[in-house]
Amino acid sequence: MSTSSSVRTDDPPAVVLTGITKRFPGVVANSDVHLTVRRGEVHALCGENGAGKSTLMKILYGMQPPDEGTIEVSGEQVRFRTPSDAIKAGIGMVHQHFMLADNLTVQENVVLGAEALHGIGQKARKRIIELSGKTGLNVDPGVLVEQLGVADRQRVEILKVLYRGAKVIILDEPTAVLVPQEVNELFDTVRGMQEQGYTFLFISHKLDEVRAIADSVTVIRRGTTVGSADPKTVSSRQLAEMMVGSELPSPETRESTVTDTVVLDVKGLKLMTPDGSRPILDDVDLVVRSGEVVGIAGVEGNGQTELVETIMGMRKAGSGTITLQDNDLTKLGTLARREAGIGYIPEDRHRHGLLLTQPLWYNRILGYQTRKPTSKGIWLDTDGAKKDTERIVTEFDVRTPGIDVPAAALSGGNQQKLVVGRELSGDPVLLIASHPTRGVDVGAQALIWDEIKRARAAGLAVLLISADLDELIGLSDTIKVMLRGRLVADADPNTVTPEDLGSAMTGAGSTSAAVQETAVVEEGEN
Amino acid sequence: MITTLEEKPHVPAAPRKRRVPGWAVGMIGVAGAIVLLSITSMQTGFPQLTSSGTTQTAVRLALPILLAGLGGLWSERAGVVNIGLEGMMIMGTWGAAWAGYQWGPWAALVAAVVFGSLGGLLHAVATVTFGVNHIVSGVAINLLGAGLTKYLSTLVFFPLSHNPRQSPPVQPFDTYSAGGLADWLGELEAGQRLFISDVAGIVRGLVTGVSPLTMLTILLVPLSYYLLWRTRFGLRLRSVGENPHAADSLGVKVYFHKYVAVIVSGGLAGLGGAALVLNPGQLSYLEGQTGGRGFIGLAAMIFGNWRPGGLLGGAALFGYADGLQLRSGGDTVLALVYGVVILLGVIVVYQLIKRKWFSAAAAIVVAVLLYLLYISLDEIPGEFVSYAPHMVTLAVLAVASQRLRMPAADGVVYRRG
Repeated sequence: MSTSSSVRTDDPPAVVLTGITKRFPGVVANSDVHLTVRRGEVHALCGENGAGKSTLMKILYGMQPPDEGTIEVSGEQVRFRTPSDAIKAGIGMVHQHFMLADNLTVQENVVLGAEALHGIGQKARKRIIELSGKTGLNVDPGVLVEQLGVADRQRVEILKVLYRGAKVIILDEPTAVLVPQEVNELFDTVRGMQEQGYTFLFISHKLDEVRAIADSVTVIRRGTTVGSADPKTVSSRQLAEMMVGSELPSPETRESTVTDTVVLDVKGLKLMTPDGSRPILDDVDLVVRSGEVVGIAGVEGNGQTELVETIMGMRKAGSGTITLQDNDLTKLGTLARREAGIGYIPEDRHRHGLLLTQPLWYNRILGYQTRKPTSKGIWLDTDGAKKDTERIVTEFDVRTPGIDVPAAALSGGNQQKLVVGRELSGDPVLLIASHPTRGVDVGAQALIWDEIKRARAAGLAVLLISADLDELIGLSDTIKVMLRGRLVADADPNTVTPEDLGSAMTGAGSTSAAVQETAVVEEGEN
Repeated sequence: MITTLEEKPHVPAAPRKRRVPGWAVGMIGVAGAIVLLSITSMQTGFPQLTSSGTTQTAVRLALPILLAGLGGLWSERAGVVNIGLEGMMIMGTWGAAWAGYQWGPWAALVAAVVFGSLGGLLHAVATVTFGVNHIVSGVAINLLGAGLTKYLSTLVFFPLSHNPRQSPPVQPFDTYSAGGLADWLGELEAGQRLFISDVAGIVRGLVTGVSPLTMLTILLVPLSYYLLWRTRFGLRLRSVGENPHAADSLGVKVYFHKYVAVIVSGGLAGLGGAALVLNPGQLSYLEGQTGGRGFIGLAAMIFGNWRPGGLLGGAALFGYADGLQLRSGGDTVLALVYGVVILLGVIVVYQLIKRKWFSAAAAIVVAVLLYLLYISLDEIPGEFVSYAPHMVTLAVLAVASQRLRMPAADGVVYRRG
């Protein structure tokens, strides 16, 4: 699968972590972790969210000191007090959430903090252009970062660590934000750099990717290393069971529950950009039936977010109609649409789903401020809200010390379970789920999948948007592909593969019988 | 599957289509303003609009606004909203008067910078170290500045000037004029020829009665640009205002840069206070002397889109409005309304070309209303005239605030970790 020729076994290992332990008040994030990374290899570190991968990498990158244990780099024991110490030792980190200033140029972002190397002028620019080739970045260093796409921003991040002379590069969940084609490009870059002697520590919980790129794998569970594996021989399933320590959940749905009753009927929906120059949604027709999950696949930024927000009434459609069970919603506001029976799991629970500083029961009221059990006439019913929050906490297994803690105190998975529980309250007829399991751990993911399946079996219509193609294929009864604001293809979830979907999403055309093009996209748009 | 990757041929994308560079926009703006003013002064018969006297006053009045605006620029580029500029400026006026009447104008400048910086330091301690909301801290500093100087001037100035609200007179700076050039320009100005006389009047105003403080202030604009955009220190300071977490992850000392920026900001605001005290028309500390100029400075900075060049334009605009009302009174300000009508006419044409029907219609309505005002009044009532700069602030910000880009982390309290 990968190039092992560049791995040098006779040299001292690039990085050795021995007996690393890190405690935070109330939790042990890492206990007795052992990790050996050989020079020139791609070493994958796998584990669930919250297993302690990030803490471990922060320790290696000098952002936090370990309580116990030692770090060796190239055979010498080191102590890092700040990231600058780690950088000096040749370790660089590409964060999952990009650390870039949008309003500064590529060059400014790269040289920031490392001005001593080549200044901030022409010399630095030359060096950046020289290094850009290695990362596949193809833009002028004078361009503002805000003009770059996600994949290019990631390249800028890699460029940053290269510029500082890093030889060991930590990639923290680098593929989380990329589509399959971009992932392949990233892997090409990684392999190319590996041949030039760079060492990678690749953090991920996407096991297929780990098996495709890594030379060796270390699995971490509940803060400690539970073993290592050879990616050439181990199966994804075995790896996953090492990670979870038990049987795995799966998004697969068994038998179809699709009925003939149309719940949501969207006709000719159009939405223009604020300046009116081009359409974001172009003549979208969409039908969701009772008991059906309709999945929308698409590279982010092709109108999925806007489609959802237009159906929810958060954006005003230019033209077209939205009908829910024979009620015309087109002219109604968001609250009225929710009252008509739409539940909505927003893609960003922090921006749209929750008030992080408010207690859980208060969050239960949001969107239900006019309905039972959280309101009585014109007054809010706090007792009812609290009682119903208790119900959600039990039924949806929200792990929380109580319903009076602020939402911010919960982990991402538990916050999401609360949102899902709330949106499935009050008997909705349609659930719009935008990336319902983004950034949650495997346990919460399984529970959310189960709840969606259960509600679907009970006749709920579901519109699912997800960047996780396995989730999309597993849960959906019908998949539609969205590209540049249009639904361009239908795919059959029983036969389609993530690769086929990926190429349809980027407009590369259908390569499989499982994807049926439904509209022709004019090339040269945008 | 073994992938051997050859280095991809690297072709940097063609640089962005470079639009008109910033300095050219500035020159075009200045030229447009002069043309507009000379047409207005010809049509309405008010040569004061472009006279050297008006210009000279405008420059003097623009200085405090410019300095306050530069102060705002430094602080906000590092991500700290500094609404306390007014208070720091007040502290600067007191410091300038206190040192000025004893040791002369240079000492006044130093003391003003020190007093303003103290205000800045306080703001930095509150917002950076203790994470106080920037607006709350700023308002507190404004109140504190006013209260503290009131107390201090009663204590220190009253025995000397027998007026708790005023300091003893301060010795002014010597001023310099470009002798021969100014005379020649004076002749041109007196000639009352379209454009030539107008330009001559404005330039003459700029080269007569120039004090060292004026020169220093004007120099501070390119100096701030150079420091903030062309040095390592400036890059770090701006990165702190855009994304402090990213800056921190790269080893930039976020707190240090914020502290420096806010203290410099206070010093500049204090210097703005000195510019008020050392204004030849007053030459002493007066209670309430700043009259909201710290806020106008902030507005000038916002108008200038958080950049020094734009800021200079904003300060010039406000200084001009202020200077005109002081020198000439209501009828001249009314003539300016005529100028605004012409300007709106240009905007209407521009918007029509760009097919922005709504903006064009709005501009037409405002233009018609202002024109009716112009023909129905003989002069703007005195009560209104003294508020001309504030009105201009309001109008300009309402129109300009739509396409502005503030530093991304401006006003956000940063906590490490």
